[in-house]
Formats: sequence, C-alpha cells, structure tokens
Amino acid sequence: MRNTVSLDKTVAEKKMLKPAAAKKPAVKKNTGEITLAQLESTESVAGQVNTADVLIIGAGFAGLGTAIRLQQAGVKNIVILERSTDVGGTWRDNTYPGAACDIPSNLYSYSFAQNPDWSRSFSGSGEILDYIHHLVEQFRLRPLIRFQRNVTGLVFDENTGEWNATTACGEQYRARAAVMASGPLSNASFPNMPGIETFKGHKIHSAKWDHSYDFTGKRVAVIGTGASGIQIIPELAKQAEFVKVFQRTPGWVLPRPDFVTPEWNKNLFHKMPAAQTALRRALFWGHESMALGIIWHSPLTALVEQVARSHLHAQVKDPWLRRQLTPDFRIGCKRVLISNDYYPALQKPNCKLITWPIATLCENGIRTAEGIEHQFDCIVFATGFDVCKNGSPLPVTGVNGRQLGEEWKRGAQAYKSISVAGYPNLFFTFGPNSGPGHNSALVYMESQIDYSVQGIKTILQRNLKLLDVKADVQQRYNHAIQKRLAKTNWNSGCKSWYLSEDGFNSTMYPGFATQYANQMKHFNLDHYRAINA
Amino acid sequence: MAMIDLDKMLVKIKNSQWALADIDWDAPGAELITEEQWPKLKEFMADLMWIEHVGARGFAALAKKAPNDTLKEIYTYFHAEEQRHANAEMALMRRWGMLDGDEIPEPNINLRLVIEWLDKYSDDMPLETLGSVIPMLEIALDGALCKFLLDSVKDPVCHQAFDKINDDESRHLGVGFTVLEMQGHGKLYQLVLKAMGTLMRPTLILGILSYLPLLNRMRDNIVEMGLKEESLYAAMKKFETIGGRTEHGRRNPWYQIISRHGRIVVDRRNRFYHVPVDAAVKLTNYIPPSILPPIPTWVKELTWKPTA
Repeated sequence: MRNTVSLDKTVAEKKMLKPAAAKKPAVKKNTGEITLAQLESTESVAGQVNTADVLIIGAGFAGLGTAIRLQQAGVKNIVILERSTDVGGTWRDNTYPGAACDIPSNLYSYSFAQNPDWSRSFSGSGEILDYIHHLVEQFRLRPLIRFQRNVTGLVFDENTGEWNATTACGEQYRARAAVMASGPLSNASFPNMPGIETFKGHKIHSAKWDHSYDFTGKRVAVIGTGASGIQIIPELAKQAEFVKVFQRTPGWVLPRPDFVTPEWNKNLFHKMPAAQTALRRALFWGHESMALGIIWHSPLTALVEQVARSHLHAQVKDPWLRRQLTPDFRIGCKRVLISNDYYPALQKPNCKLITWPIATLCENGIRTAEGIEHQFDCIVFATGFDVCKNGSPLPVTGVNGRQLGEEWKRGAQAYKSISVAGYPNLFFTFGPNSGPGHNSALVYMESQIDYSVQGIKTILQRNLKLLDVKADVQQRYNHAIQKRLAKTNWNSGCKSWYLSEDGFNSTMYPGFATQYANQMKHFNLDHYRAINA
Repeated sequence: MAMIDLDKMLVKIKNSQWALADIDWDAPGAELITEEQWPKLKEFMADLMWIEHVGARGFAALAKKAPNDTLKEIYTYFHAEEQRHANAEMALMRRWGMLDGDEIPEPNINLRLVIEWLDKYSDDMPLETLGSVIPMLEIALDGALCKFLLDSVKDPVCHQAFDKINDDESRHLGVGFTVLEMQGHGKLYQLVLKAMGTLMRPTLILGILSYLPLLNRMRDNIVEMGLKEESLYAAMKKFETIGGRTEHGRRNPWYQIISRHGRIVVDRRNRFYHVPVDAAVKLTNYIPPSILPPIPTWVKELTWKPTA
C-alpha cells in the first residue's frame, strides 16, 4: 500500500502585491547597510544553541518561498540563516547594469504570490528584488531571518534526530528538519586566468558590481558573453569610451519579446486575477513546448536554431561578424540567451568583438594570441558562477559521519533532486538534476518547496526521528535520470557549466517542467526509511 | 614524424604565447637594410605577410572542422598565431618604412582571389583537404621563405621576430603532420572515394583554380628577388618526405595528391602543367579589381600596432 501525504492546497493564499517598481530605484545598490530589523535579528550569543522545527539555509527565492509555504501549512517555528545583510540571493548580488531575468516576470514569480504590477514583460533585477522584499513584508518573514549567519557546517545528530548548524560566528542552531536553499548560483569569483594579479586597472565581477565606479569615458573590457555578459555590454557601450568584448564561445541568442506593461493590463490583473493566472498558464505552456527543441534533438531544434540564425542575420550584416557569432554546438547544449540589444551594441562604433584567445592579462590590459596588447582602465568579468557540481556547497555530515562532499565528489546525486540517502530530514532546493533549460526556475522551485513541506509535515506530525530516502530507491532514480540525460542536447558534446570536467551531468532535469512537477506532487513514504522518535 | 600528444601540445602552445610588445621595434638595426634590398624586400614582405594571413583564415576554417575540442582549440590558437606573424611582419615593414601610414599592403590579384575563395567556401571544406594543404604551405614558408629572409636581412630585430615566428611554425608543422597521418586511418577505398568526391566539388575546383596561379606567381616573385628556385623545391620535397614517413601518412589520399602536385610544380619542364598555369597568372592580371567584392572584414583585423 502506498502511503502518500499531500499538502493541503486550500491554505495557499493568492494575495495581490502592491505596486513595486514605481517606488524604488530600478537597480538597488547593495550598500551593505543593515536595517534596524536586521540588527535585531543579528543579536545572538556565540556558543548559544538556538532550536527550531525547521532550519532554512539561505534567504533567496527558495528559502523565503519554503518559509511561506511552511507557514501556510501550519509550521511556524522556522529559522532562516542568511550569510548576507539582506534577502534576495542572486537578485541581491547581481545588480550589474542591464541585469534582468530571461523568463517573463509573470512566470518568474510564485503562483501563490502573483504581482499584477510588473512594469515590463521581462523585469530588471531591481524590480525582482523589490518583489522579493514584498514577499518578506507580505508574509511577515523578517522575524524568522537571522542575517549575517554564514553556515560553516551542518551535522546530523542520530540520537536526537536533529540537524545542527554551526555559523561562522560560533552559534549553533538545531532543528528537526533542514532545508538547503543556498542557491546554485550564489558564489562568484574572478577566474583563474594567467596574469590576472598583474592588471593594475579596476576589476569588477558581474555578480559583485561596483556601483561607485564611473564608466564614463573609460576603456573597458568585458570577458564573457554568457547571460550576464550580453546584458552588461549594451549598457556599458552607452557610457564607456570603448568596450571590447572577449568571447570564447558564442551562444545561441533568441529575440526577447520585451515590452512595457500598459496600465490597462495592470488594472485588469488587479481586478481579474484569473486573467493573470491564465497568462501565466499560457506562458508556462509556451515555454514547455520549447523543451521539444531545446532539451532534445527534434525537428523543432532545427526550427529554434533557424529562429536564432534569422535573428542574427537580421541584426548583423557583416558576414565575418556573423560567423564569429554563430555557435557551432546544438541549441540547448549551453544556456540559450535572450536579447534584442546585444548584437546591435556590438556593432556600435565604440564596441568591438574579440574572438582571439586570451594569452594573458598584463599590467595594462589583455594580451591576445594575435600578439596585440589591448589596454583598458577596467576589466569586467562576466565569467559566471562557481557552480558546485562536485562536492557540497557547505560541509554536511550525515548518519555515521558520512560526508556529503566526499560522496558527491564524482558527481552529485539525490532522489528527485531533493533527498539524499544517509542525510535524513534534509531537503535540497535546486539539488542535483533539478535545473530547467527551457522554463522558469520558480516553477521547479515551487514543486520542490511543496515536496519539502510534505516531508517536513510528515516528520513533525508523525513525530519521526529520522526520515531517510532508501539508498536503492535513490540509485534506481539516478540510473533512470542519467539514462534519460544521455539523450538530451546538454550531453551532446559541448562544454558547459551544466557538466562536470569529466562530462557528468548533475545539474539538469531531463524532461518537461510538467513531468518534474508530477514527480514532486506526491511524497511517497514507501521510498523512505522512517524511524519514530 | 611520430604522432604527437595533442593535449600536451595545447599546453605547450598556451605556455609559448608572445606579443608584439615583447619586441622593441625601434631598436637599432633598421639601417642595415640596403637601398638595393629595400624595394624587393618590400614586395617579399607583403607577399609573406599575406600568405601568413591567408594561412590564418585556413586555420579558422579548420577549427570549425576539428574532430575534438583539443584540436579545435589548437587550431583556434594557430589562427591567432598566423595573424600574429602577419602583424609582426607588418611591424617589420613599418620599421623599415615600407608602410604608408595605417594602410595595409595591397594584396596581388591572385591573393585577392584566394581570399575570396577562403571567405566564401573554406568553412565547407573537409578537414582532410585543408589539413593536408596547410602543412605544404607551412613547410614551403618555413623551409624556404623565412630562411631566405634571414639569410639576406641582417637587422637583429628581424631575427628576433623570426626566432619567435619559427618556434610557432615548428609547432604548427608538428600538429599539421600529425593530423595528416590521422586522416590516413580507415579503409583505403573509403578514403579514396571520399577524396574523389571532394575533388569533384565545384567549390573545391574553384579553390584549385585560384590556388594554382598563386603558387606560380609567388614562385616568380620569389625567384625575382634572388631566392634560388631549388631551395623552394627542396622545401616542398620536405613535405613529401615527412608526410610519407608513416604508412598512415602515405595512405592519406590528399597527401598523395598534394605531394604529386608538388613534384609537378617543381618540374619546370612539365609544360603540360606550367604553360596553362602561367597563362592563368597572366590572365588574372586583366581582372579589374572593381569587379571583385569588397575585401572581407577579417582582413581589416591586421595591424602593425603592438597595443590597441
């Protein structure tokens, strides 16, 4: 007999949010200032043990969403540990000029907290961060958050059935269940390039933007032409004396149907929330259909590639530049880029694409293999994130002292991306093989959150000491996932951040978002080892 | 030549990068170019620079066809390195007062035709075709032109630059002959059938038609400058010797075609070949430059300036 626990959907509130963008600047600077509320929540004593029912690590979209849904499900004793001084995760850190989401805002938001006031179809990072701040206020999450708590280790105590988190300042937090919501794209550092330490000019990483630096009249290099790079370049080209763009591999770029939301549209969504839900559904299915072209090699793949090629052809007239910008891998293998202003920016008189390999960075700039030293005042590194594919984001010790980092060294594995055998009562958001390539990350995130809530409620209601996924169930699941991944475009031969150095894919989910949501809908207790307290 | 480890070669290439800024282009020695040498050297350097540049475009096409990531990256570097050689040779021309402001030397009509062909069709050529022709061009360059230049020019800066260029070229040749041998694996009849199929492609025939007169024109230009024809032929024979050292090299039909063609090129008595090709050289002189499309923008990447 299957034991299933399903979340009570009636508690899912669909509250409307107040207009956000008009009140706050488009890009919020991360000044490091701490608000009074944050100060209050940072007061704690080193060595003191704080207890809760649930410990959430990270106050980004996933951590806050989990807290909201847990509260709605009646779980109130929650602590969120956040290493920074503000909420928002990726959207707090990525405030570079032009930062925006490449999924429409009506889909890149929670279905249980829709915002009728998105100012554009694809909102900028400032507006998304405002939305996150509103979530915090709307659902009164701030008292739950402990800011400036960098978790340095998470250890499971088999005797008590509790997770014990230690922070950098020496505090201890204990909880019956823990949720890892530290985010897959939360760490960024300068790349290990030869001569990087010798450059005397200014260095900026896209994920740690320096808003105090004035680009006016400056000679600027941008290294990297991924999702961040193509958003930064058009903005810098408006300001800088010149911008040289260093590209290693061109990506597929699709047009971005971005437009300002008319007032009548906002009013309609205010008065008829069902209209916004209908639009969200249409956007969802539109993106779902893209999976056929982007995840798998099908006739639709050639069609999507043709759309991208036509976009390039329409925007770039010079055949050599077009050649330089034409990818030689199948669409979907790497992240698909969305932009209307990247190609035009590259062709501005003060902008130049450089595809020569970088030989070294030097005192005055960048030396490329064609023998020329390109001199700059500032180098912008749009080189992406330190994605944790081998090992765990922080030291996690499970039953019998097993170390997650060791076990994941050869590639991370989990059951349904969320539970790992030997690490009971622990739930991962954006765990192994949960990444979408064609649809909104928040759609996947909602499924993960609701699954975690079911698991946590099971632990609390049944008073379980231990709820641990069975190793053989996890193994079977991963065997099937890897078999399915072998047939996807991600594993079709290109190098991407989706794959580890030896080509193992522990990041992406090989299927439709609908498939993922279906597998996460029911919490099957038969797949877990449950021990009463 | 034994097959080389391409992964190790890639590391070596990355560790051997140099820049124009490493050379002091204003150092003494430019005055060692004699007045008599100057006009001929100007033409020689322009031809040399263009051959490097055309070779660069060939490597760019090869990078698209590389069967694995390592070779793709190697070819991407070689593309840039050939461009670096062309840039360095322009810097030498600039040093010797052979450039008019920022102008790049005018390519001759046969070079223009080859540039057109490369621009339009080289990306569609199979790896084995371009991968076999390029070592031939490289060895002719390395073995004859550069040697001749260093024998006749005393300027130390020129020697300094060509020490670096020749180091690069030796790696290009090592990879070139390894790839030539790699293409000799497989069933012989399949290799031959594939080569015959490629040979019948109209785009390749167009390429051959633009390549043959270029070879003869270059030979004439070089000989006119005082290079002994025999040293050019000796260099071309090197291709036959090195490429044919292993069974797989010899099994590559393109090696056979190119080395046999090399033998014909060096045999001045072969009137059946040289009369029509020399006539084609003369005929191409009558092509008005105005009917050719504008020079592709990749040509405009050339620069003698060490910094930008």
